Amino acid sequence: MKRISNIFLILSLLIAVSCSEDRLEPEALSFYTSDNLYTNEEGLESILTTLRSDLSKECVGNRHYFCCEYGASDLALPGVQVDFYKLTPNTDRYFKFLSMFTDVYEIIKDANTIISRIDKIEWSSEDKKNEVLAKAYWYRSYWYYRLVNNYGDIPWIGKEIQEAKLDFCTTSRWTILDKLQSDMEYAVKYLPETADAGDINKYAGYHLLSKIYLANCNFDNAIEAANTVINGPYSLVNKRFGSSSDDLSHNYIWDLHRVDNHVNSANTENILSIVDRYEASDDARSIGLYSMRLYNSPWWGKMVKDSNGENGMLAVGALYDTLGRGNRDVRTDVFYQYGLWEGNGYTWENTPDLRRSDSNWYDLKDLMYNNPESADYGKPINPELFTDKFSCPYAMPYYITYAPQQNPDALPLGGNGDWYIFRLAETYLLRAEAYYYKGDYAAAAADINKVRARANAPLVSESEVTLDYIFDERARELFAESPRHCELARASYIMAKENLGGYSLENFSEKNYFYDKVMKDNLFYTETVVVKNNTSSIAPFHVLWPIPDAVITANTMGVINQNIGYVGAENNVVPKETISDSDDE
Amino acid sequence: MKKKGIIKEDFFYPQKIVLIMKMTIFFFVLGIIGVSAGNSYSQTTKLTLNLNEVSIGRALAEIENQSDFYFVYNKKVMDENREVSISVKNKRISEVLNLLFTGSNLEYKMMDKYIIIYGSKKSQKGLSDHKISGKVVDTEGLPLPGVTVVVKGTTIGTVTDANGNYNLANISNNAILEFSFVGMKSFETAITGKSSINVTLQEDTIGIEEVVAIGYGSVKKSDLTGSVMRVDAEKFKSQPMTQISDMLTGTVAGFNATQSTSAAGGSSMQIRGRNSLSAVAEPLIVLDGVIYNGSVSDVNPNDIESIDVLKDASSCAVYGSRAAEGVVIINTKRGKKGGSPNVNFSFMVGAAQTANDRKPYGPEEYLNFRKDALRTYHSSLLGGDRPDWYYNDSSDLPDGVSIDDWRNASVASQSDNTLERLSRLELTDIEIKNYTAGKTTDWYDKVMQTGLRQNYNVSINGGANNFTYYWSVGYTKNAGVVVGDEFSTIRSRLNLDYKISNWLNIGMNAQFADRDESSVEGDMTGMYRCSPYGSMYEEDGSIKWYPHDYAMARNPLLDYYGQDRTKKTDTFFSSIYAKINLPFGFTYKLSVQPRLTFGKDYNFWSSETRTGGSDYQGGYGTRQETSSFENITDNLLTWKNKFGVHSFDVTLLYSVEDSKSWLSSQANQSFSPNEFLGYDALQYGNSPAISDNDTKVTGDAAMARVNYSLMGKYLLTASVRRDGYSAFGQDNPRAYFPAVALAWRLSEEKFYNISWMNRLKLRASLGVNGNREIGAYAALARAAWTPYFDGTGTLMGTYSNSMENSGLSWERTKSLNFGFDAGFLNDRIDLSAEYYDTKTTDLLMNRNLPEITGFSSIVTNLGEVDNKGIELTLNTVNIKKKNITWKSSLVFSLNRNKIKRLFGDYDEDGNELADYSNKWFPGEAIDRIWDYDVKGVWQLGEESEASVYHVSPGDIKVEDVNENGVYDAMGDKKFIGYQDPRFRIGLRNDVTFLKNFTASVFLRAELGNMASFYDALHQYSNYESYNAVKMPYWSPDNPINDYGSLKLNSSSYGGGLGIYKKCSFLRVQDLSLSYNMPQTYIHAMNISSMRVYGSVRNLYCFTDWPGWDPESKYSPMPRIFTFGVNFSL
Repeated sequence: MKRISNIFLILSLLIAVSCSEDRLEPEALSFYTSDNLYTNEEGLESILTTLRSDLSKECVGNRHYFCCEYGASDLALPGVQVDFYKLTPNTDRYFKFLSMFTDVYEIIKDANTIISRIDKIEWSSEDKKNEVLAKAYWYRSYWYYRLVNNYGDIPWIGKEIQEAKLDFCTTSRWTILDKLQSDMEYAVKYLPETADAGDINKYAGYHLLSKIYLANCNFDNAIEAANTVINGPYSLVNKRFGSSSDDLSHNYIWDLHRVDNHVNSANTENILSIVDRYEASDDARSIGLYSMRLYNSPWWGKMVKDSNGENGMLAVGALYDTLGRGNRDVRTDVFYQYGLWEGNGYTWENTPDLRRSDSNWYDLKDLMYNNPESADYGKPINPELFTDKFSCPYAMPYYITYAPQQNPDALPLGGNGDWYIFRLAETYLLRAEAYYYKGDYAAAAADINKVRARANAPLVSESEVTLDYIFDERARELFAESPRHCELARASYIMAKENLGGYSLENFSEKNYFYDKVMKDNLFYTETVVVKNNTSSIAPFHVLWPIPDAVITANTMGVINQNIGYVGAENNVVPKETISDSDDE
Repeated sequence: MKKKGIIKEDFFYPQKIVLIMKMTIFFFVLGIIGVSAGNSYSQTTKLTLNLNEVSIGRALAEIENQSDFYFVYNKKVMDENREVSISVKNKRISEVLNLLFTGSNLEYKMMDKYIIIYGSKKSQKGLSDHKISGKVVDTEGLPLPGVTVVVKGTTIGTVTDANGNYNLANISNNAILEFSFVGMKSFETAITGKSSINVTLQEDTIGIEEVVAIGYGSVKKSDLTGSVMRVDAEKFKSQPMTQISDMLTGTVAGFNATQSTSAAGGSSMQIRGRNSLSAVAEPLIVLDGVIYNGSVSDVNPNDIESIDVLKDASSCAVYGSRAAEGVVIINTKRGKKGGSPNVNFSFMVGAAQTANDRKPYGPEEYLNFRKDALRTYHSSLLGGDRPDWYYNDSSDLPDGVSIDDWRNASVASQSDNTLERLSRLELTDIEIKNYTAGKTTDWYDKVMQTGLRQNYNVSINGGANNFTYYWSVGYTKNAGVVVGDEFSTIRSRLNLDYKISNWLNIGMNAQFADRDESSVEGDMTGMYRCSPYGSMYEEDGSIKWYPHDYAMARNPLLDYYGQDRTKKTDTFFSSIYAKINLPFGFTYKLSVQPRLTFGKDYNFWSSETRTGGSDYQGGYGTRQETSSFENITDNLLTWKNKFGVHSFDVTLLYSVEDSKSWLSSQANQSFSPNEFLGYDALQYGNSPAISDNDTKVTGDAAMARVNYSLMGKYLLTASVRRDGYSAFGQDNPRAYFPAVALAWRLSEEKFYNISWMNRLKLRASLGVNGNREIGAYAALARAAWTPYFDGTGTLMGTYSNSMENSGLSWERTKSLNFGFDAGFLNDRIDLSAEYYDTKTTDLLMNRNLPEITGFSSIVTNLGEVDNKGIELTLNTVNIKKKNITWKSSLVFSLNRNKIKRLFGDYDEDGNELADYSNKWFPGEAIDRIWDYDVKGVWQLGEESEASVYHVSPGDIKVEDVNENGVYDAMGDKKFIGYQDPRFRIGLRNDVTFLKNFTASVFLRAELGNMASFYDALHQYSNYESYNAVKMPYWSPDNPINDYGSLKLNSSSYGGGLGIYKKCSFLRVQDLSLSYNMPQTYIHAMNISSMRVYGSVRNLYCFTDWPGWDPESKYSPMPRIFTFGVNFSL
């Protein structure tokens, strides 16, 4: 009997011991949760680090955003997506015309996490709090600026979303620009005078604010904001410096673009660049800039025949290291390679412009057959013998694209390095553009000439200043840097809103500055090219990229507009003109 | 000293409660198990008595004093005071008792050390001193120990010993003997004066009286109320089995398992269709009565006695939250009492080769293919600018085209026409060089192989009175059909059961497994892409990364040769139990089930490999260590009792679960001074990285179940279970899962008189089960990290990457099941049929969010999925003659699945909105294929029609459903088929002939489904640069209608193009022949049985599927030849 009672005792103990409620509470061991991480200063600042890192999505990795921006412009075709009619809300053919939209919103979410929680934690000082908030505003404004120009009217999300939300709707681009403008007016007050490499300082704030003012047609304010940068601690580089300064075969324009010369005290015009270094640990290092892959021609390919009809080029040697394994994802056109550099009696071959100097470019004449077995070994390649007129060698601005692959065994695609986001030269060109809209062509010419003079290019006269000229100057100065399509679309909106040049917002999708500029200069669309069964073509509505269908269909309780011209736009409703509290912090 | 006292009182005398309890157990054992504990003690114990005129009570007390025997009797039956005299020396107890009881109406029965004395019914008919003995064997002639032999109409009986022998004495010479044994048909025979009767018991083909596991217990199959199917491992002993699921593919109606193609074997398992949209939907595995969360690959199939598959809600409900996808109960072998240890050996060798070939183009074919590819790209039809004959060989030009025309078609023709042709075909220099030298490489031959398979097992089992054991060790080593695909495992099992005393049993089932999965396989993509004119090695002898210098065509053996790998997993699982018999029919069982796993995965890619040389520099190594510890403690209280016609079997459970896992990983690269030390010394690298991930989950469960039987005809099971689990939101950590089931054994009714249907049982059940397989932390808002290097140091960036859902709860499946079991023609035909209707609500799913939230989805409970289906199992004995027995087993199942509700979002017309990104449509099956309806291929002459859609001849023609001249992403797609089979059929035939031969053939069919055949898209292919698998393609010369051209345009199809092909099949899955060596041959070698066999798996498959295999779809299905020998000592 005693034994039996013992057993019952053990049994009841077992049940009692194991039956407590809190043992079912989940216990996160190896990861943070938002609720235990974003409760103090360090937590929120760690999001800023992510935002800083994410800026590199512009210019790092295969088919990055900048690559898309140049592919969809007057300067080039996007490699395998030459027919823009085949850019649909469902497919972007390996480019990021669709995925950029959702990826950028993910970055905006991170900025919103900071903004929504800014008052919920204890700060060591009010200054600290304001600086963190100012930076969060900067990132959010930067990316919204990119979106409203590439995609037009889009949903505004201004706070951290913590539950399933399916009733988003589209807000007018102009309403969003108003919001960005006021956010950045606040932010510039609290951004620090100086910041670490890759981080945001006051001048990056004013440069962005200048762009936003410009986009919002506040030209005076745009000039004012640009003044703060231009009068700040910057000047255009005009002498040799940095890692490459000993190489006498090059000039200071070459130095300016070396990917290890950005963070250098002699680089006086870098306002903001991304930082990506080979010496970083494996997981903190990107897969590389891909600049040689994306912008350079497949000069090494089988389409380069010699006079015997044999392959004349090999993907080996110094040339391979220098030009890399080009893949013409951004297949530059005749305009960028040649037309852009002509004028004032000069041709591309004899222009004094350092940005087209022989030492900075690889022209066809510079490419020699490098196959030792070729009968023409060492001789210049013969374009007559190209068996493909699209995937063939073309002139390459290797002063921009050259980014050595640090790992000698890896394919040379473009290694790790820094890349410009904002540079003083662009500030001048932004201000010039603002002056242009105001009709102050003399001031516009003066700003353009700052940039041209530095490049040793012939100066432009007041009467020659047109919007086309300003954008051509941007092409000459900022190729592969400032987002080309985004800026062209911004200008298109300005022209339409201001009713300049016969443009209007009413028929924006049928007639706009972007399309006209592209059709004027990009001969790939007028003299069409067929690439793997696709014929190059583009229409005015392609000024805006499509909103991904996945976003529209997942938003079951509301309507997100599709851009006109793409399938689905027939369901559009009038975009919101206000930002309500429920959408904002 | 012992001594205890005799029970002389009434059975229900209160002070003797402990012993009465023992008696209850005793009768329980007698009644349920039907196997006496054996009488070795009674046979070995010798008594010496010398008593004169004492009461029989005194005499019995004396016997107890001399021995361990207890006497049990009812005073009303035995007159204790009757005087007896006895004088014996060294006699067995039976002889003593026979003397003592002579002339009385008393009989006795010995159960172990208990001797029950009772009044004989037979005594009225007069006693007989007839003796009978004999041997009981099975159809294979093997002795059957433990067979109950009873004189019909009495309780007189015995049990056969280890050699199958029985002896009965003092029975009437016209008595009828009944022989019964679990799994065998009962057998009756009249003695009619014989003194020796040998009996061969027939296997009970229908297995009506077999005991089936039902979860925390077992019942006779005839008492089942739910839908449970048993798989007897014995049937599969002639088939190659690496994993348990190898015996389940196609053999149980409603159980779907697809074969794995790898050397490791194994497969997915699914019971009764897809219930879940996102949660893991595999059945729960129960091993020897306890929940097993480990890998089934660690259970050696040779240790399996039987597998029970629980399909309906009521059967599963005792496992509640885990059981929505059904339960698979695995019962391992246990020791058998009596005689000498039974030792079994088995050896098996086999070979695996691909069941069919899918080769890339050979050398000449490759050139022809290249010609067609380039012609397609440059065809003037498609906007190109080359004459069609441009790529022809100069000796193969169309009429009217001269060699000069051909040469002049190129801007600069090489002097050698062959070289010119190769250049036009865009061959690389190395290809041209190898072509000229006549060197080719057969990549298919290098990557595909015939894999050797070996399997060795030894087991030993036995037992004595209070103790049984089973111990086995098995070693399996398999190579797959792709080079480098290797698997080996050592598995051991020890099952022990002790009977410590009459009220306490303890035991342990322990399993250890060591798995070696250090395989680095050849790469099939590279195999197809590499040119037959490529080179395996560089000139310096190192392996060539890109055999024909094209970076998208990697050497398929690069990692096979260059990657070092050790991947080992050691697992230990045991369940240790103590079972205590309590008064009033109660039993308490405490069971503790620890499970441990230790894994390591070490890899090193030398700088000879692409990973170690290009993706990383100077070599790249990783080390990953995992371990886990899980424990489940079950407290089980059962009560069984019978009051007249009412039988009760009550089970109460309280269970607690704790599980933790730990993962540590390291990586490094750029080793100096050199990389020779590989993964054994990652510290020599210059860029170390570490990453850890630990998890913890907790759960608890309480369950109550009652099985009630009225007159053995009306059966009821009712249960309820409450589960708690830590992964769910804190609003709902617990949930309840109830179930009820009824069965009616109609054929037991008096009014039942259908002679051709000798047995009929109707069943119905209804219950709710849950699914919790959503991951340990699905309810939490996670933050992820991204390291950032700012030029001087690394900063840790973080961001939130999932949303919290504090309301997250169980997925619940409510299921209704109707079934019947019928036996025809005296059970020659056995039919079971099931109809089920399940509704799964609160589906655990990743609900897609508009990605602008920054999150692509949130884990939530939404919607409803229904599954309805029919399952039939038909077992027949077709021929049963002396020299031939032919049995068949046919299983058939169909499942119809439907998404009833999804997110609860409706359009203006009240129709629920679909989830297009997941292709889930309310009102349609989960596996419904919604895509373009392919009508064929655009042909020459249809250019203008095609151009409307921005496509050209050779492109895929799909239906323009809304006729708007665009292939829309939405508007033009429709429902074109199903991914899951509409019908599944399995047919097994076993024929035993010429006494010792058994042949089996298993056919399996899955019908009515389709699958995406992405090879047909040519989508990512650059056929101007690399080779491909041989497949039909459209060209102007070959204007077929089922495959497109070599450069398909897929971007004109707004929603992306998918090409589906039918994948119904009928497969000769298993064929085997085995031979039992006749006893006369092997006895001389001291072997008690020996069997040799040969078998083939996946002998042939009838299908239209154009890929490797309709079941494995895109990987090669192995055909396995096996030869094996089993023998027992």
